[in-house]
Amino acid sequence: MLRVEHLTKIYPNGTVALKDVSFEVPDGEFLVVIGLSGSGKSTLLRCINRLIEPTEGKIYWNDVDITAASPAQLRQIRRQIGMIFQQFNLVRRSKVITNVLAGRLGYVNPWLSLLGIWPAEERRRALAALERVGIADKAYERADALSGGQQQRVGIARALMQEPRLILADEPVASLDPVLAHSILQYLEELNKEGVTVICSLHFLDLVHRYATRVIALKQGVKVFEGKPQEIDRQRFKEIYGEEAQEVRAASL
Amino acid sequence: MQAMPALQRITRSALLIALVIVVLGFSWRATGIDLPRLLRDLPKGATLVRAFLTPDLFTREVETSVIGVDFPVPCGSAPQGVPPTNGPRLLPSVGCAAPGETFTLMGKEFPASSEILVRWLLPDGRTLNAVRVRTDAQGAFTATLQARPILTTQDGKSARLEAEIQRPVGGLKPSQALRDVAREMFVTIFMALLSTTIATLIAAPLSFLAASNITRRGCLGSGVYYLSRSFFNIIRAYDPLVMATIFAFWLGYGPFAGVLALTVVTIASLGKLFSEVVENIDPGPLEALQACGANRLQTVRYAVVPQIVPDFISFIIYHWDINVRISTIIGYVGGGGIGFYLSQRINGFEYNQAGTALWAIVIVVWLMDFLSAEVRKRVV
Amino acid sequence: MSERKWLLSAFLPGAGQFLGGRRYRGGAILLLWLILVVIVAAYGQPIWWISPILIWLWNIWDAFHLQRLGREASLFLPLLAGLSVLYGIGWQITQIDLRSADMRRALQIVRPMLRPDFVQPRRELNQMWVEILVPCKENPPRAFNKLDGKTAMATPDCARVGEVVIVSVQGLWPNTDTQIWWQTPIGDPKMLGPNESQMLILPTDDNGALSATIRVPTTALVAAPDPSLALPHRVYFDQYRNVGGWELSFNGREVLKGAGVTIAMALMATVLASLFAIPISFLAARNLMGGHPVTFAIYFAVRTFLNVLRSIESLILALIFVVIVGLGPFAGVLALALHSIAALGKLYADVLESIDPGPIEAIRATGANWAQVVRYAVIPQIISPFVAFTIYRWDINVRSATIIGLVGGGGIGYLLVELIRINDMRGVSAVFITIAVIVIALDVLSARIRERLV
Repeated sequence: MLRVEHLTKIYPNGTVALKDVSFEVPDGEFLVVIGLSGSGKSTLLRCINRLIEPTEGKIYWNDVDITAASPAQLRQIRRQIGMIFQQFNLVRRSKVITNVLAGRLGYVNPWLSLLGIWPAEERRRALAALERVGIADKAYERADALSGGQQQRVGIARALMQEPRLILADEPVASLDPVLAHSILQYLEELNKEGVTVICSLHFLDLVHRYATRVIALKQGVKVFEGKPQEIDRQRFKEIYGEEAQEVRAASL
Repeated sequence: MQAMPALQRITRSALLIALVIVVLGFSWRATGIDLPRLLRDLPKGATLVRAFLTPDLFTREVETSVIGVDFPVPCGSAPQGVPPTNGPRLLPSVGCAAPGETFTLMGKEFPASSEILVRWLLPDGRTLNAVRVRTDAQGAFTATLQARPILTTQDGKSARLEAEIQRPVGGLKPSQALRDVAREMFVTIFMALLSTTIATLIAAPLSFLAASNITRRGCLGSGVYYLSRSFFNIIRAYDPLVMATIFAFWLGYGPFAGVLALTVVTIASLGKLFSEVVENIDPGPLEALQACGANRLQTVRYAVVPQIVPDFISFIIYHWDINVRISTIIGYVGGGGIGFYLSQRINGFEYNQAGTALWAIVIVVWLMDFLSAEVRKRVV
Repeated sequence: MSERKWLLSAFLPGAGQFLGGRRYRGGAILLLWLILVVIVAAYGQPIWWISPILIWLWNIWDAFHLQRLGREASLFLPLLAGLSVLYGIGWQITQIDLRSADMRRALQIVRPMLRPDFVQPRRELNQMWVEILVPCKENPPRAFNKLDGKTAMATPDCARVGEVVIVSVQGLWPNTDTQIWWQTPIGDPKMLGPNESQMLILPTDDNGALSATIRVPTTALVAAPDPSLALPHRVYFDQYRNVGGWELSFNGREVLKGAGVTIAMALMATVLASLFAIPISFLAARNLMGGHPVTFAIYFAVRTFLNVLRSIESLILALIFVVIVGLGPFAGVLALALHSIAALGKLYADVLESIDPGPIEAIRATGANWAQVVRYAVIPQIISPFVAFTIYRWDINVRSATIIGLVGGGGIGYLLVELIRINDMRGVSAVFITIAVIVIALDVLSARIRERLV
């Protein structure tokens, strides 16, 4: 159970990215955050694991206050929260398996990990994670030798290594060909069915209809909509995206 | 209306040209440029260059033999020597002489066309070089000598005329200079190796302090960042040779001073380059690992290090190349190695030996240039 | 037999790997092992033999591993063993001795460096002297002097070396420290304090008077041609007073002069070099010279010459020019200029080679000759990169000029060597600060100008 209360983020240059946003995410939900570029989606996701420090407001994860956690506590919380990025954020010059193992850094002995020594069990786990996303054969190739879709699967495998109870996915398919979008989102859906809560920001409305169990819409940092995906009709759409917007379907591209 | 700007432009150009002429004139005088002197002294340079072009590389072992004949001064003070009738022999025109008298000395059946040193063996056992001669094609020579008062017979022992023949035996051997140069070159290369290694070990962690994306957080971080930045920038302004003067003054002449001076400057220079590499890394992986709950050190180890290692290696090899170059000359100001050998040979006017060192420097520098270019091509 | 191939590595390192199909691995092992053996044999103490032996054992293990398990053994051990020997021997032959790094001496060097000798407070000198005959002769003149209302006298009027003399002075500034020192007839200063190695300093009383007992310095007659000849020596009384404000000290003036000469050296060298390099670069540009076998031969010869010259450090050229034209900035200018001709010649030629051939074609099509083509199609394209490279070279030459002084090339480097020789660390510190300022300032300046040009 994730609870966000009155979250506000003002950047040092004065930009108000989030303004008094509150919502709850029950366990097992697939929550999608929509909004225009710059509406605060990324900021919201990054505030949840405090990659960005919120200016005001509270975030409770199973009744633990993330915003008040000490650095050590924060690492404890972060390792339960997987994150998937638009730009994949892999170390391009490292091998795929190293990138996946890195997801486990919060669990293993920090000193051994600095020497690059990993327990055999962790290696097995990493290979299993790669197996699950279907690229086990690429484990010993350099990450930059992979295509975009494969790189994002490495990103998912890395998140899987954390055995997460919550996954934050920041535009996971925005840098990919639309035809690859479903294959990536299906992995997230599969995880969601296994009981992992997913919070995902997306661009394409048809993907939202297909995967989301609930939707939050942001507009200039303010929550303008919360509800079922089916409730987003033409009127709502114009409210969220502005009068000029035309709906584009990922599948039609 | 248009005349004014044109006039202004001309005035400005004229002023600028005048300024340039004044500056150049001042520089001409301050640097004491004296072209006539250069033209006059160029022949000196030609001898120098000729000596450099004939480096001292090999010697033959020589066998020295001495032929002699007793020569009493004055006559009758001791028995006259009797030269042998065949083989190499010295034939003075007179068998003895009064002090101050001059005479002719003939030599026969010496090795043909070779250099012979004629000298006196004094009654007290010391030697006095008389003349250096060259034998003709038949192995004969003539020389005019003077019987000096110092040759006077003492205690019935007369002076003796001697000729020293040096005959090369055996094959060519590396000369003393070549062996010295090889040893000093070995030291020089190790100086570069050690200084580059030590500098890398220190500069790599320091460079993180001078990288704005790693350090610059909060008041302390900014302080550390600016401190390390300015340290790098100031130290980098000094050539290692300038540094070496002060280290040689502290530690005495020798390779240790050179290694330390090179190390200090290389730390600054590598630190600057490294910190730029660190600043240019992709921040995405850092974010991703933080989100996984990795601590600061783990983030550096898994997100930063893999991104920077190839560039670091390239810069290290580049600096190793530069350091070999500099360590060949750092000895000139007290840093040890081949440069010290070179300075001693030049100050002692032993230009052939200096030539050996110069050739060694040119060859090693070229070799390192080539090697480092090859290796860097592979790495990047 | 063939399954025991790995045993061959025991006889010749790398042989087992080589025959097992890993040719590069085998060859590399043999080569590196031999290099290590040579280094250890030539320079090491017996203990270093551990390393080749360890690597030899590892090599057998590696061959065995490869053949039986098809896996390479870890490179960790041989790398460690090889590197430790390399660095151990390097440590030894570069005479790194941390004990010789005497920290007390370092402090003695660094402490005065914290007070660079650039400026000093402006001071005013109040001086008085009296003449005394050494050694005595008959009827010596009175040792008395009267000057500007000040009087000084010595009793007795003459003395031998080592004898005691009482000197007194009146009319100086009251209650001020006064330095008392001896000057021989040829102008050598001698100190009168303890052991004749310290300055004798005494304060004047309320009336500006002072009286002191001194001994004629033992070295007073050392440089005298005839020690028995009585000549007048002087005892000086010096008082200093700050008059406010600051002035350049002697070292400060010298440092500024040296800095000026250094910059001038670099400037002259760059100007001379570019005058020579511009025509040479046209001969070294392939696109201008490649048309005909003769011109191509010239191009090749010039390029080779530039490459050889460029690989000789300007410092080494300076050594040669110091022998030819003597110590001084002229030798430095020549060395820098010669090196810069090679460097600039190559850079200019590269610029010429990268120019756009279109305008050349167009001008040539109008029937222009070679010189006209250069004037109207080439020069407009090259002027700003040429200027940029020249300024860049000036920047580098300033850096080089500081070190060329170290070998006698004049300028601030020469001053540095001289100051270190006389152990004047405050002056050395001023030199170091000035070098940093010049180099960094010119760095910034040249970067600015080049940014604007390109």
